[in-house]
Amino acid sequence: MSALAWTAVVVFTVAYVLIASEKIHRVKVALGGAVVMLLIGATDAHHALFSEESGIDWNVIVLLIGMMLIVAVLRRTGVFEYIAIWSVKRTRGRPFLVLVVLIVVTAVASAALDNVTTVLLIAPVTFLVCERLAVPVVPYLIAEAMASNIGGTATLVGDPPNIIIASRSGLSYLDFLIHLAPIIVLVMVVFIALSRVMFRGSFDADPERVRGIMELDEKEAIHNPRLLVLGLVVLGFVTVAFALHTVLHMEPSVVAIVGGLVLLAFSRLDAEDVARDVEWPTLLFFAGLFIMVGALVNTGVIEQVANYAADAASGRLATASVGLLWGSAVLSGVVDNIPYVATMSPVVAEVVHAEGGGQQASALWWALALGADLGGNATAVGASANVVIIGLAERAGHRIGFWQFTRYGLLVTTVTLLVTTPYVILRYFVFGG
Amino acid sequence: MHRSTPVAEAAKMLARLSLPGLVVIDDDGRPVAVLPCVEILSMAVPQYCQDDPTLARVIDEAAADVFAQQLGDRTLAQAMPGHRWAPATVDGDATALEVAAVMAGANSPVVAIIDGSGKVDGVITLTTLLERVLG
Repeated sequence: MSALAWTAVVVFTVAYVLIASEKIHRVKVALGGAVVMLLIGATDAHHALFSEESGIDWNVIVLLIGMMLIVAVLRRTGVFEYIAIWSVKRTRGRPFLVLVVLIVVTAVASAALDNVTTVLLIAPVTFLVCERLAVPVVPYLIAEAMASNIGGTATLVGDPPNIIIASRSGLSYLDFLIHLAPIIVLVMVVFIALSRVMFRGSFDADPERVRGIMELDEKEAIHNPRLLVLGLVVLGFVTVAFALHTVLHMEPSVVAIVGGLVLLAFSRLDAEDVARDVEWPTLLFFAGLFIMVGALVNTGVIEQVANYAADAASGRLATASVGLLWGSAVLSGVVDNIPYVATMSPVVAEVVHAEGGGQQASALWWALALGADLGGNATAVGASANVVIIGLAERAGHRIGFWQFTRYGLLVTTVTLLVTTPYVILRYFVFGG
Repeated sequence: MHRSTPVAEAAKMLARLSLPGLVVIDDDGRPVAVLPCVEILSMAVPQYCQDDPTLARVIDEAAADVFAQQLGDRTLAQAMPGHRWAPATVDGDATALEVAAVMAGANSPVVAIIDGSGKVDGVITLTTLLERVLG
């Protein structure tokens, strides 16, 4: 490798360590790293801004903006609170069933929307429900963060790593549903069973308190029925268009941004107010990451790594897939899974291409998605949803320590990977070969 | 009021005397915080209702009427996260404009007057200031 390539590797490594250590805000690090890559000549404006292979992935950025706009409007309708409280009331206040309902609602919402928004919406409802039942709220919050990470794995739009993988691999929304959703349903069942054991001391409620749940009036949550109908119609159209995007010849990013803008235009809401809900710092973080990874592509580092990986994987795709699954989970537990997947995607793309791009080679993409997404559960800092839940709990006076979360996280991650490993082997290498 | 005063007691006093806020002091009489009335109110409102005001609508009337009971015996010190309320203070020789600037900057209808040793020497309310300035 050239001196420039080694310099790019050093810049990238320093940035990665700084992101992992959280000593400096991740947006500053990503943008700072991108600027350094530009200054040392590892990339240039043309590559950084316009190259599909080594620049900002505008499909990812635009898709995220579109989905964030849709969520920003939908959260103003009260529909999430309505669904959560309606569902909890169906359990007649039985604590374990309440937990199951909250897990399922969180997972399904996370599959359709981003994880952080989902936990931001479900956590306040959880505080209310647990206060009414006089049960400890912490186990419920931990379970929701994990359910969010698991549910988000099921779809193309469910978790940012999946959006990156979709853009780099060309895999469609339906591909994600067909390959990931079935195993995620099974993982959810196992996770619920595990929650019954892990949080077994949290399901005793006074029958008197249970009545408090039934007194909640979920209909009061809906304060703008017109906006609700409009929001659900647009979300329905967007979901159908996602599923049909290959037939419609529309990128998911175009579907999302059209849906977001149409919803905003007809919502009668203040556009400036809604736009404030778009997480612009996160988008800048993505942009900085893409430029840094693009610099590694430009300088040949990614090709070099991919060549090693392709040699190692050649003829051993099953082993490589399982290795990628577990390796991704370990790394995603330590570092945010977004930079990890942004870096690994070009490598995996090269290996899949080198292996002919068939069903077995594509198993690497699913191993990457499953490992990176489910690995986020491993530690308290493994995924944004975990960090957000812990922050909300602390603000409400319920501190969740790093190890308190992580001891559950390690168990859940290990068990969920033990469930997904045979799935990858059986589906792609035993029955799919 | 001393930082160990229960929030409920402080709130009752504010209501009884129609005060716009209060100054919280430590054991040495130094100001810890200057709290407008609305901050005292927010201590009684469940955090989940502040994060998601929609939830306040779904709570039945009987439970909603007794929301302040959740304060329990919590003291002012326990209810303040600490960093949120830098005390709005002025020296004893501050002009009306100085006091107004501090009030406006801190968005507080109460300002504590501190003496040379940093202890609270008095309080100026928004009403007092307006009466002085507008005559």
